[in-house]
Amino acid sequence: MTETSTPSPTSTPAVGDVALDVRGLEIEIDVRRGDPLRPVRGISFSVRRGHRVGIVGESGSGKSLTALSLIRLLPARVRVAAGEVQLRGRELTTLSEREMASVRGGGLSLVYQDPMSSLNPLQTIGHQVVEAILTHERVGRREAHARAVELLRDVGIPQPERRADDYPHEFSGGMRQRVVIAMAICANPDVLIADEATTALDVTTQARIMDMLARIVEERRMGMILITHDLGLAAAFCDDIHVMYAGRFVESGSAQAVLGNPVHPYSAALLESICRLDTDPRSPIAAIAGQPPLLQALPSGCPFHPRCVRALDVCVTEEPPVVESMGQVFECHHPIGVDA
Amino acid sequence: MSEAIVTVAGDAPVLPRSESVFRRLMRTPSAAIAVVVVLILVIMTFGAPLVSPYSPNVSDFDQLFAPPSWNHLFGTDELGRDLFTRLLYGGRTSLIVAVAATVIAMVVGVAWGFVAAFREGWVGELLMRIADMLMAVPVIFLGLVLVAAFGASLWSLIVILGLLFAPATARLARSTLLVELRSEYYVSAVSVGASGTRIVARELFPNALPVLIARASLILAEAIFVEASLSFVGLGIQPPDTSWGTLLQQGYSNLYRSYSYPLFPGFVILVAVLALNALGDNLQKVLDPSRS
Amino acid sequence: MSRYVAKRLVSSIALLFLSTIIIFLLMRVIPGDPTITKLGGSIKEVDEATLTQIRSDLGLDKSIPEQYVTWISGIVRGDFGNSYFSQFSVTTLIGQRVGATLLLALMAMIIGLAIAVPASVAGAIWPNRYLNAVLSAFAAIGIAIPTFVIGIALIITIGVELDVLPTQGYVSFQRDPLNSVKSTLLPAFTLGIGVAAVTMRILRASLVEIGSASFVRTARGKGLLRSQVVVRHELPNASIPAITQAGIIVAHLVGGAVIVEYVFARPGLGTLLVDSVFQRDYAVLQTLVLATAAAFIVTSLVVDVLLGFVDPRLRVEAVS
Repeated sequence: MTETSTPSPTSTPAVGDVALDVRGLEIEIDVRRGDPLRPVRGISFSVRRGHRVGIVGESGSGKSLTALSLIRLLPARVRVAAGEVQLRGRELTTLSEREMASVRGGGLSLVYQDPMSSLNPLQTIGHQVVEAILTHERVGRREAHARAVELLRDVGIPQPERRADDYPHEFSGGMRQRVVIAMAICANPDVLIADEATTALDVTTQARIMDMLARIVEERRMGMILITHDLGLAAAFCDDIHVMYAGRFVESGSAQAVLGNPVHPYSAALLESICRLDTDPRSPIAAIAGQPPLLQALPSGCPFHPRCVRALDVCVTEEPPVVESMGQVFECHHPIGVDA
Repeated sequence: MSEAIVTVAGDAPVLPRSESVFRRLMRTPSAAIAVVVVLILVIMTFGAPLVSPYSPNVSDFDQLFAPPSWNHLFGTDELGRDLFTRLLYGGRTSLIVAVAATVIAMVVGVAWGFVAAFREGWVGELLMRIADMLMAVPVIFLGLVLVAAFGASLWSLIVILGLLFAPATARLARSTLLVELRSEYYVSAVSVGASGTRIVARELFPNALPVLIARASLILAEAIFVEASLSFVGLGIQPPDTSWGTLLQQGYSNLYRSYSYPLFPGFVILVAVLALNALGDNLQKVLDPSRS
Repeated sequence: MSRYVAKRLVSSIALLFLSTIIIFLLMRVIPGDPTITKLGGSIKEVDEATLTQIRSDLGLDKSIPEQYVTWISGIVRGDFGNSYFSQFSVTTLIGQRVGATLLLALMAMIIGLAIAVPASVAGAIWPNRYLNAVLSAFAAIGIAIPTFVIGIALIITIGVELDVLPTQGYVSFQRDPLNSVKSTLLPAFTLGIGVAAVTMRILRASLVEIGSASFVRTARGKGLLRSQVVVRHELPNASIPAITQAGIIVAHLVGGAVIVEYVFARPGLGTLLVDSVFQRDYAVLQTLVLATAAAFIVTSLVVDVLLGFVDPRLRVEAVS
């Protein structure tokens, strides 16, 4: 390995160093006839060590493709059309497949939803965690097994020595997700990406796993990207939030700012639609009218205008400018707080 | 009354019209070649007198085991007879047997499958279980056993081959029919009070037809293969009749005297089987793209 | 696990038993009087007494259930009766020939798998369009091409022209293993191509399906290379549906063996089958059919046991 992506103990970067820097990421889907679709149309963000970033959006906003593109596991016909992804200064988009393979798990790790089938049903979980360890470190099998057991303990699996010899189908969904997380962090990646990692789980398990993730990320000084459709979850867990719509970040800012002071009409609408404990049960759920736009037929101007209550004429014709104001970045012709 | 069915069931699926299927088929190169090859085979075997100046049974003792030449495209056999001509005439037998067997397989299989589809209780299950058991046995093996039982004349061979392929056809017919039975237009037609047989004849059967025709091509290919195999070991077409299989057998026994003698019948069988297989596969794809 | 195996064993024996009844009844249904067949077809020269004698020799004067019991009790003792035509017992005949067929089947399986598995894995590791088109074409042609064509072509090229390998006969394995294998190489290869083609079609299809499973993505996310993921994770999972279809492969072997043995003049069970059909030797035929049914039942049993070993999910269900 020419460049290490796993930090050595003597030179642990401090909390606050930029771990991942994404600039102008664009993703294209190649369709047989016609122009390629563009599910991600230019996003930029960075993640520092120990820092938690949330990407929030509806399904179809392009957030999952973003996650896959960072570790370069995009499906066939989907590719990064433009942009840079730098992990601790090292450009990832130009690496060879072999080099990228060593980055996966070692520098960047992805945990995603569907814990039920994320593990090989034919191998014990101990074996699978050991495999993850051995992929990145040259240690003996026994040592790797011991580490695996400790890792399982760390993510909250009870009686890990015994359970390491069990098969995935003997675990519940929540437990399986913990195993996946264990595999993802075993090589101490700089950034952990969680793509709807808890969506398929019940709320209690979700809370427990999020707590565990918070602790782990803190202890190991990892950066974390939480990708979710649940703005409430992101607000509770993340330091910064990026709201994604139709392939772009329509609003970015600290969690408090976005939560307390949403600038983009979409963020505000998302907040409205969250049911809280103190919401009047008789009032209708304030769902956002309409559907997310089809990639083949993106609306002109601002893509949110068909569903926006604050749409102006200019929103239909011109793309909104990127505005930075008081730590928040947004793209809107008619932001909240400004009356045109 | 029939008009009522059509108007109520306005969503009746349109049977792909024959020209569009054909045209779509011809667009795939492998399918087009397959169709051409099959046509050539049929034309040449049945038009044998026009194609070849020789008679299949006339010997020319000056030309035993002659290698291929302009005079004898495929060479001659142990009695100096022109092999190409014998393959043409023998091809008639092979093709007729295969076609007849396929027809029997279709008729028996479709009836079997339709009954099983309509009688969904234990009768249907039993019929399908029997079909499954028969399908598990290798065709050549079963064929040999049946020949042992019923002898190997031209007619018994046709019936045996037909029966060999009936179970698989039954399975296909039943599953196709079950799909149709669940479709909206059938259910609405029944609710209007249309009678079962009429519906089967007018609506369901025509819709099931294309799939069955595609399968028929594959059965044809296999029928040619099995007949050739049986005749090759001497348990198929009996002399003095000739087929591709018997010619292969004769060529095989004379292998050391003339390589071309077994190779050409083998080649012809190969081409016929491949072409019909390709045709059947492509037909299946064209008629039901979800299954490719 | 052993409970699972025991259950399957019991049902296999029951199935075997059932098959004997079916086969027995079917054989009795066949037109033609075996007595006459044994005599060669003409009864004019024979008098009544001889006929009766032969009938009783063959046990045909007893009632059907009695005949069945006689047959079954014989089988359990290993006695399958005597061939109608040769002076040997059926057991002897089969015993002489089973070795050749088993060796052929074994080598054909090995060759077939040795071709099919690497080819399928390669197709999964490198999703190159051309490679996969070639592999698909090979599989399709391999299935469609008649076995006798391959056999004859091989005899001509390798056997006669190059004279590298023997093209007929069979050397007993016990007596001379090396030559035994040599004499089986060409036939096994002929049969093996068909086995390879069928296996490839099944295995490739299941690899494609497995390729989109979540755990494959997890494995790559761990940092494993494509080849490692295919071999360590996809292949074992993909073999499961392939193993369940082992019956198709065995069927192909059985059917193909008949032709291949004939083409290469091997004294095996396939040629025995052909001979006994020619001679209408029902004693041998009956036993061969039974043997084939047994082979299928055993295959099914082996498949289930194998699956129990490979797939841990089955074991749990079986025990509970």
